Amino acid sequence: MAAQVEKKRRRNVLLTRQRQAGIGMLLPGLIIICGITIFPIIYSIWMSLNNVSLTQNGYAMSFTGLSNFNAVIHASSFWHSTWFTFYYSVATVAAELIFGLLIALAINNVQKLKNLSIVVMLIPWSLITVISAQMWDYIYDGVYGVLNYIVVSLHLVSHPVTWLGTPVSAVSAMMIADIWKTTPFVVIIILAGLQMIPNEFYEAARMDGANSWQVFWHIIFPQLRGSIALAGLFRILQAFGVFDLPFVLTNGGPGTATQSLAMLGEKVLFQDLHFGTGSAVAVATVLIVLIISLVFLSAFRSLVTEGEAQ
Amino acid sequence: MIQPMWRKVVGYVVLILFLLMILLPFYWMFVTAFKPDTEIAAYPPHFIPQHPTFSHFKQAFVQYNFWPFIRNSIIVSLISTFLVLLFGSMAGFSLARLPIPGRTGIMVALLVISMFPAIAVVSPLYVLLKSLGWLNTYQALIVPYTAFNMPFAIWILRNYFLQVPGALFEAASVDGASVFRTFYQIFLPMTTPGLFTAAVFTFVACWTEFLFALVFNSSNAMRTIPVGIALFSGQYSVPYGTIFAGSLVAVVPIIILVIIFRKWIVSGLTQGAVKG
Amino acid sequence: MSSKTKRALTVAGVVVMTGGLLVGCGSSSSSTSTGSTNTTSNSSGGSSAGKKVTITWAIGSITHDNLNQQLVAGFEKAHPNITVKIQPEASNTDTTRQQLTTAIGAGATTPDVYLGDVVWPAQFGSNNLAQPLNKLFPQSFWNRFSPGLVQGATYNNNIYAAPFFVDTAFLFYRKDLLKKAGLPVPTTWEQLQSDAQTLQKKNLVKYGFIWQGDSYEGLTCDFTEYLADAGGQVLNSSGQPVLSSAAGNKAVSFMRSLITSGVTPNAVTTDQENQSMNLFEQGQVAFLRNWSYAWTDSQSAAQSKVVGKVGVVVLPTFAGESKHYSSVGGWDLYVNPHSKNLQADETFIDWLTGPEAQKILVEHGELPTNAAVAKEASSIGKSPIFGLLPQVSYISRPSQSPNYPQLSQAIYSNINAALAGSASVSDALTKADSQMKSSSSNTGL
Repeated sequence: MAAQVEKKRRRNVLLTRQRQAGIGMLLPGLIIICGITIFPIIYSIWMSLNNVSLTQNGYAMSFTGLSNFNAVIHASSFWHSTWFTFYYSVATVAAELIFGLLIALAINNVQKLKNLSIVVMLIPWSLITVISAQMWDYIYDGVYGVLNYIVVSLHLVSHPVTWLGTPVSAVSAMMIADIWKTTPFVVIIILAGLQMIPNEFYEAARMDGANSWQVFWHIIFPQLRGSIALAGLFRILQAFGVFDLPFVLTNGGPGTATQSLAMLGEKVLFQDLHFGTGSAVAVATVLIVLIISLVFLSAFRSLVTEGEAQ
Repeated sequence: MIQPMWRKVVGYVVLILFLLMILLPFYWMFVTAFKPDTEIAAYPPHFIPQHPTFSHFKQAFVQYNFWPFIRNSIIVSLISTFLVLLFGSMAGFSLARLPIPGRTGIMVALLVISMFPAIAVVSPLYVLLKSLGWLNTYQALIVPYTAFNMPFAIWILRNYFLQVPGALFEAASVDGASVFRTFYQIFLPMTTPGLFTAAVFTFVACWTEFLFALVFNSSNAMRTIPVGIALFSGQYSVPYGTIFAGSLVAVVPIIILVIIFRKWIVSGLTQGAVKG
Repeated sequence: MSSKTKRALTVAGVVVMTGGLLVGCGSSSSSTSTGSTNTTSNSSGGSSAGKKVTITWAIGSITHDNLNQQLVAGFEKAHPNITVKIQPEASNTDTTRQQLTTAIGAGATTPDVYLGDVVWPAQFGSNNLAQPLNKLFPQSFWNRFSPGLVQGATYNNNIYAAPFFVDTAFLFYRKDLLKKAGLPVPTTWEQLQSDAQTLQKKNLVKYGFIWQGDSYEGLTCDFTEYLADAGGQVLNSSGQPVLSSAAGNKAVSFMRSLITSGVTPNAVTTDQENQSMNLFEQGQVAFLRNWSYAWTDSQSAAQSKVVGKVGVVVLPTFAGESKHYSSVGGWDLYVNPHSKNLQADETFIDWLTGPEAQKILVEHGELPTNAAVAKEASSIGKSPIFGLLPQVSYISRPSQSPNYPQLSQAIYSNINAALAGSASVSDALTKADSQMKSSSSNTGL
């Protein structure tokens, strides 16, 4: 009996010790993360409620309440950027997921070239976006770009086209550059998911006389749903912050057709030096991101539970 | 399972086309770096350089001095990666193996934080760094890079720590080893692959980051590679040769990293995506 | 999230926040003027003898030769105790402005002296990015400049920059091609368009006319010239935007017709000075609108295939008009307010705007700001542009507002959309007007 109590006590001591050690090991990381992300976001909100002006050696703030947000909400450039960023993100990510899924399914059973293709697929992922943007800039060039040479040679168009010169083609060109860079990454994730589906599943399905389409719809897709959804969410939010690609490729042009929210924010903050309104743009961006995450997460949750129910 | 022949053929055709699609633009950048200016602006373009030259490399590194960009990138990325591993491994371990209150909550919060776009915090960080007098210094990038890349590293590392059998931990604590000693003498060596995975991800993220680098370290001496290349404008109207020559030098080390660590990168990708 | 986690996170957050706030409070100190009001005026090197200082000069490549190095060498010879380090600027004014606003806004102490566009004084002065030079230099210093230039560098009664060189736009053309086709040099826009078409039809050249149509400051300059030729203006006398006018329509419609008629390549909507210059130097285009430097560049065999084949005249105007307008371009010398070497900066600017340096500029085909040098420019400069100056009428961009960057963006982004055909001419002008109106509300959006 006494031994029992003693054991319990020792166990409790051990637990407490572990908890303290755990909190001690967790805190440094958490403090850094909160200090550089959460606190600045709160400070951002504060700045967005002020009129901030540059002075000789710092900033002067004067509280203006919601007037910055009022300016943002009434600015057509803000809504234009929001809309562009939104449809750009959704379209590129949808294209990446669809292409990624199709390519992964096609090459799932290829035995040779495995190592080589993994390396090749990781190259665009590890490439600095600014470099790939310069690369595409040269490919798209309206005077001596190689893309014009190819489409003219194939008689698809009669004259060289200025790809970055009209809104529709500039947005498409930007999407292609993004899809080129990220699809391989999606392919790798989906391939790994496919590897995890036990062979017995396929066997059983074949026994039941299922055709390829049914196998995909009833076996492969439910298994992949989780990883596709998560990859999609990550990518959408990443795409929502798109900045470097349009910065180099189009500088937001033609007109402001490719001016993403991040570009607008950066311009207002650091080129025109309106820190109050710029912070309001940033805060509005955070709100949009939060809304997207919440919508997606709740949808994702039902997706997962649905998947488990089957 | 036995594959019909046609499916294999389709698979190979798609794979080879896909790899070509990936490599062609890259090839174009590669050959452009070796073309003289007149060929770079030539139309129709030559697919193989007629008069290959190394002059752009000389321009990039002698005339326009790309070295500092590469040096800055290496310093910032390496130190940030080290700090992320240091704090991230401890946090990942305690979230995986220790009775921390509210673990799930912390994990979800980390996930949400790691998704915030950089533009959301760039202005207050700028003000903060400015008041510390840290703009145009290495720490101006190291601190935010460490904070922004840690959540993902914690996720990856936690998954690796979970794979180490729990019995080991029990045994160690019965032996009276302190928690921290258990962590770095037993667990860390067993999760080396995880550390490498997290390291490669962090390093690549720091190496490619642009917005913070552009805003915080815009002075010429402190620019990282992306900023140096984005703001590069040579004396001549077609700067692509010099840009691509400098870019190739910046790309090669990363490709070597990718080749060495490819298995771990892939496992890291799938780990992070599936378990939660 | 469990309540315990919430609490832990809140605690962590509060700890960090208070730490941050302590730091933050120190930062929003209201400005204290550091205006070092030394007013040494002797032009023989104001810095104390024997003390060696190094200053950094941010400057783009004005002309694509060794002009900058030559200037620095000349200065260092005259002032052996000051060393000048060159920090390269980007080739386009907007990128350069962005770099300087972030770096100097961040309190960077370098560059000490930087070359900046003539349209920046208002924005830079109102945001403490430029040192008021009237506090640095004596009143008499400003008498050396040609009339009107100092006015352009003044904002709110402070002079924020010292004019370094003036930029004027000209029409550069291929003498050899016009001779082959037996055409006179065009003096009107309409004539230019038809001449260019003739040359293209005869297969003498690939493109007719190239200029700057990208969505950036340069397009505002190009557009302002057509607008002035058509008798229009950007703002009326009471400061209201009036682009939606017959003149505005005429200007943009003509620019767009250059593209639709095939005289100007579509790619012009992504071209800045560099790209247009390249096309001309590669011999692919007959006419080019560009600044003074293009003469010197086109005659340098290192990059140009048209050496000796180039002629230059004042820009055309619309048929029936008499004045040939050019935008007032040019670059000024600014001082970083955080510079640690104000005295050396002053010495340097004094030398750069003095006779020796200004003559070097003239030799490289740039227009001097120093009135005495300007008088004899045509006799020392080899470039034919000096002889053309009397025929040029100047039109300024409305850069007296600290929000000029947004004002200009309202112009160039909408005109660019009209040129690309993604907006109708009248819509683009209406939109430009309304965006210019809202830019004055000081929000930056």
